[in-house]
Amino acid sequence: MKIYRSLDDLFESLPVVNGLSISFHHHLRNGDGVQNLILKKMNELNITKLKLYPSAIFPVHTEMLKLLQKGAIDAITTNYLNGSVAEYIAEHGLPNQLKMQTHGGRSRAIIEGETIIDIAFIAAPIVDEEGNAAGHDGPSACGSLGYAIEDSVYAKHTILITDHLVKKLEQPQIFSQHVEAILVVDSLGDRQGIVSGTTAITKDPVGLRIAANAAQLMDELGLIKEGMNFQSGAGGISLKVTEHLKNTLKARKLKAGFFSGGITQSHVNMLEDNLVNDLYDVQCFDLHAIQSLKKNPHHHAISAHDYANPANPKRVIKDLDVVILGATEIDLDFNVNVTTDSYNTIIGGSGGHSDTATDSRVSIIVTPLFKARTPIIKERVNTITTLGKNIDCLVTERGIAINPKRTDLLAKLSNTHLPIYTIETLLNKAYEYTGVPQSYDLKAQKIGVVEDRDGTIIDTLHTKKRR
Amino acid sequence: MSRSFLFIPGDVPRMIQQLEIFGADAIILDLEDSVSMTQKDEARHLVESFLRKHHYQNPLIYIRVNPIDSEEYTYDISTLQNLRIHGIVLPKASLKGIEKVAKDLPQCKIIALMETPEAFLEIAAIAKHKRVEGLLLGAEDLAQALNLERTEKSDEILYVRSQVVLTAKAFKKIAIDTPYTNLTSNEGLLEDAQKARQLGFDAKASIHPNHIDTIHQAFSPTKENIKRAKRIVAYAETHHTMRFSLDGKMVDKPIIEHAKAILDAAKRYRLD
Repeated sequence: MKIYRSLDDLFESLPVVNGLSISFHHHLRNGDGVQNLILKKMNELNITKLKLYPSAIFPVHTEMLKLLQKGAIDAITTNYLNGSVAEYIAEHGLPNQLKMQTHGGRSRAIIEGETIIDIAFIAAPIVDEEGNAAGHDGPSACGSLGYAIEDSVYAKHTILITDHLVKKLEQPQIFSQHVEAILVVDSLGDRQGIVSGTTAITKDPVGLRIAANAAQLMDELGLIKEGMNFQSGAGGISLKVTEHLKNTLKARKLKAGFFSGGITQSHVNMLEDNLVNDLYDVQCFDLHAIQSLKKNPHHHAISAHDYANPANPKRVIKDLDVVILGATEIDLDFNVNVTTDSYNTIIGGSGGHSDTATDSRVSIIVTPLFKARTPIIKERVNTITTLGKNIDCLVTERGIAINPKRTDLLAKLSNTHLPIYTIETLLNKAYEYTGVPQSYDLKAQKIGVVEDRDGTIIDTLHTKKRR
Repeated sequence: MSRSFLFIPGDVPRMIQQLEIFGADAIILDLEDSVSMTQKDEARHLVESFLRKHHYQNPLIYIRVNPIDSEEYTYDISTLQNLRIHGIVLPKASLKGIEKVAKDLPQCKIIALMETPEAFLEIAAIAKHKRVEGLLLGAEDLAQALNLERTEKSDEILYVRSQVVLTAKAFKKIAIDTPYTNLTSNEGLLEDAQKARQLGFDAKASIHPNHIDTIHQAFSPTKENIKRAKRIVAYAETHHTMRFSLDGKMVDKPIIEHAKAILDAAKRYRLD
């Protein structure tokens, strides 16, 4: 295995030319120094017409902004972006286009050859001298490397970048046969930004009411049962729903089957309390999750392919009973937007939103009915991230709406005390407090597309029109 | 009957617009102690604007006005004319104060906030007043007036708690316990609320929305109680008898009436 100590030496060995397609993962999140390191070098070499395939883009990725301003980036395909890069693209667009994929869709596109990656630059917190890699150890430990696995296998050139090279690594996630070279650096990035610590369970009374409603809804739908499979995010409301689930499982002496997706301390505690059989971890959200992944054999690091590739019949999320998701906007057809805000600024992206909503037997959106003076329910969302046909329930602090297509769920809830309304009624309730907001068309030039997990284009993205 | 009375500062729009979702049976929009002097006008304006647009039966809406001998009270009363509210909470209650509010706001019920030693000297007269709906113990101000140190166990207020319950019940009025002020201990809150329930209080006041579920837990019939009450009422109705034995225990008219009250409460609180 070729081991480089110098970035210049590494670049001399690589076919770095104009029009290059390169990929990165986002497991180092807002502490990522690797993407900046590589793109800074590309900038120094005056490489242009770059095609970038980062699984996500965060505010820390300032070198990408410099390349954008220079016009050196032709196209970007990603699953999530916010920060200065997102703002720049929303303002100026790209020479080619921005494509927003899902986590499962990204994996599918790489494996099926729709996405061609020339070089995958993979930040790897622990690497052995043979070229095996993992993320659970080392000074920049981030846990699972789930979103980098397909890149490592299918890129024409796979480069591991590490600050912790060891003789031999047990239980690697990335295997040496796919790796061309290793670059050893002083640091992969900012430790504080890599793991943000424990995410706090909401104490906000509105968030608590939403979580209580969601937990009760799950219970009345009969979803809390022996062997249930569950996924929730790391937001404060989702964590509170998870806490309710924990209490119910404990009280009824039940045990869940698996929890999947991004794993937090809440999930780990439930594994250690014997309330769930397995954790399928595509991404660790905190230090507890990283520690657990290292030591607990029932805490499994999985790839994006194993997690959510729609072409993989054994994908984990296919067996989900319920997923708890958020929304920036949701419309009267239950389409959900987590990609842009009401000013058409790009603020995120699907990640696994559409993947899990589509596969899970029941998908539940948890959100306040309005934030500040803006209703979350719209007549039409600004951007479709997840199609309404895949969203089953909307839970707010003032009531719950069930997608009318789910007549089975409505039938189960026919005798409930839960505050069930149509989504139109919930919208009118919001208007009672906020008034009817004036609508603006803020879309100017088309700059990209939203691609669902199977490759279908479900919406377009536009630059912001100045008001 | 309300189990919980939640105080919400009158000058915080974010909380006022969410008042219905906190789950409290009754809301007390506060114009008094939680609003600084510089915010009084703003609070009155906010509360008035909100209640002119939004009307509630559940939760019941009360307003805590400023003390009757303050200038602010006059402005409060002027603002509250013709507003659809269930009642007024009168701080530093006295018989004189109750009579004044009864005259100034003839449409409103009054909850007397018992928080001065003087109030306890005329507690029976206050409770007896036809417009008084209930007595609310204000232990923090009272403790200050009595130079008492408030403790977690609240033994120091046992006497006044009992006096509020006895007097309220004597005149068939609602007995409301003082808020639990420790915002970090849910276990402490539950213990305190259960103690109040054991003493005979009907409800408990609260200064934080996150206390409401726990208060309801203490002041609602348990599943076991509801189950047994259903069996008692069903047996009495099926056998047309007011005296029988169930599970080896004697059941007679007061127990049947109590069982019916539990079922009424269960229905009201959607626990059936």
